Amino acid sequence: MAQPPTSSVSADSGASLVSYGLEELLATAGERLGEEITPRTVRLYATEGLIDRPGKDGRRAVYGQRHLLQLLLVRSLARRGLSLSAIAPLVVCSDQDLQEQWQQLDDGTSASSPPDARTEALAYLQGIQDSTAQSTAQATDHPSALLPLLGSVLSSRSASLRASRTGSRSSASSSRWHRFSLAPGVELHLSESASIPPPGSRREAWLQRLIDRLREQLDQQD
Amino acid sequence: MKPSLHFRPLRPAVAADGATTLDLLITVSAPALSPERQARPRQPLNLALVIDRSGSMSGSKLSYARKAARFLVGELSERDRLAIVTFDDEVEVLVPSQPVRDPQVFIRAINTIHSGDCTALFDGWLAGAMQVANHLDAAAMNRVLLLSDGQANEGLTNSAEIAAKVAGLTSKGISTSAFGLGDGFDEDLMGAMAGAGDGTLAQIESPAQLADLYASELEGLVRTFGKKVSLGIRAKRDVQLLDVINDCELTAAGNWQLPNLRHGQELNVAARFLLPPWQPNREIVSVRLAWQQPGSQERHSFVEHLTLPVMAAADLNGMEPDLAVIELFELLLANRERSLAIEELDRGNLRAARAHLEAIDQRLSLLPQTEAIQKERLLLEEKKTLLDQDRNLSRKRMRRESLRSSMSVWEPDTDTSKGSL
Repeated sequence: MAQPPTSSVSADSGASLVSYGLEELLATAGERLGEEITPRTVRLYATEGLIDRPGKDGRRAVYGQRHLLQLLLVRSLARRGLSLSAIAPLVVCSDQDLQEQWQQLDDGTSASSPPDARTEALAYLQGIQDSTAQSTAQATDHPSALLPLLGSVLSSRSASLRASRTGSRSSASSSRWHRFSLAPGVELHLSESASIPPPGSRREAWLQRLIDRLREQLDQQD
Repeated sequence: MKPSLHFRPLRPAVAADGATTLDLLITVSAPALSPERQARPRQPLNLALVIDRSGSMSGSKLSYARKAARFLVGELSERDRLAIVTFDDEVEVLVPSQPVRDPQVFIRAINTIHSGDCTALFDGWLAGAMQVANHLDAAAMNRVLLLSDGQANEGLTNSAEIAAKVAGLTSKGISTSAFGLGDGFDEDLMGAMAGAGDGTLAQIESPAQLADLYASELEGLVRTFGKKVSLGIRAKRDVQLLDVINDCELTAAGNWQLPNLRHGQELNVAARFLLPPWQPNREIVSVRLAWQQPGSQERHSFVEHLTLPVMAAADLNGMEPDLAVIELFELLLANRERSLAIEELDRGNLRAARAHLEAIDQRLSLLPQTEAIQKERLLLEEKKTLLDQDRNLSRKRMRRESLRSSMSVWEPDTDTSKGSL
């Protein structure tokens, strides 16, 4: 019989608010992992130091959220073919790190959904971009010919603007233009040498603002 | 509406008095699209079309790419977003992501696409991904469609690294389809990207097929029942999982990653187990299907358990095997055999590559010659002939066919991109 969760847990057990008896721990982990976990497995992991020692409630062993996360991580990693000695260093970390590791490992089976998918996706891509474009991006401060046209949109941000990827072409000899269609019959052409934010979320945001602004202008003419 | 899991063993029992090798076909079926769902407007699409315009695309390829892009625009509505990105050695966002209110905006931009230099394939993908990410909508299907005829030779070019980055984006809710065009693209890279991207792989030999491909891709996006589909196969104690014949990627949690599941579609996974002498009513394996419905962050899953009747080994071996199970196992093995042939080909061992194809054809020749088997043998025959005539094309086609076991592969001769999975 599974014991009902108890609310009193000693702080040094490393557990947060939730606590489990052994059978509850096995059931919860088993359900999350889709496999049976035996008490022997848990005892083995505890002996090997892969799971913290349980707390005590009288003679009964008490497990917390941290134990559950450790167990989930160890099993998932073991199933991927990692040896226990390789796993050991991965499970001695803060509760938050454990949580993050598990979320990365688990293919979305955890109930919690990301706070804002868009922000996460953009941050992810930005990270890739920063790491691949680091060498090519270059800061420039000189105002571009667009400044008068774009007014405050550009000048308010010009301090942080960067040139687009210079790559193999020098900006002086560049005859390359980026074209953006804003509305039927209206296109924006930007020379590659224009100072606009680098490709990525900043440029997108910048362009979006620009487009919105120009659309406003166009709409007003109707 | 739930998908179903169906078990089909080679023989409907296991042995009580000896070991059993259990061949098990696991069929995942998605419910058909209900009439009321069909009547409802489809979920919006948030797409970026990323087009290679490197030098090799010049001429008819690019002309068809433009034509197909115009077709794609025509199929979208103002509820959908589309961005158009082109790349050669540089990336250009031709049309930033926006609702398709006025198709002419897109069409005029598409008509300006002209060919340039090298192939910054990864940067192109990245720019397309950014466009989709900027407007990532949990209620939409968010996808990057990458069309290239070349090898990545500018920027990040390592295929495993690219695939890892694509997989990372998939986990953030944006999928990627990879379309290779002509005879110069890197089939391994495109396969890896579509696999990691939870999208469609297409290899198009004639650019004239592009419009059909886009139509099928849209149809697929609209009919998607489940994405990020995974299958957890857990052998119970004393049971050994010997092999899963589909060479699927494993998810981080150790599950088999299946392609997107369309309404009304069936996916077959073939697994082989070894059992010691077995007792009645004892569970043999549990299988957990997990998926995410388009337009929802929530992950669904359920588990089915398999138990089989137990009988004497002699009686068991006397039972007629299920021919449908044999056929599907052999077809999946034929896909795997192609991967082995490619490995030999890459080592320059043409003879060994051919031997793999011949070995599987030999096995197929012993089965009842159903339509599926005949079609497969024709495909194998074609590859054997191509090995001598056009090694590159032969390799491309073998790669495409080998991936049918584990991902959505577009096949030009069918009206959907349903693989043989």
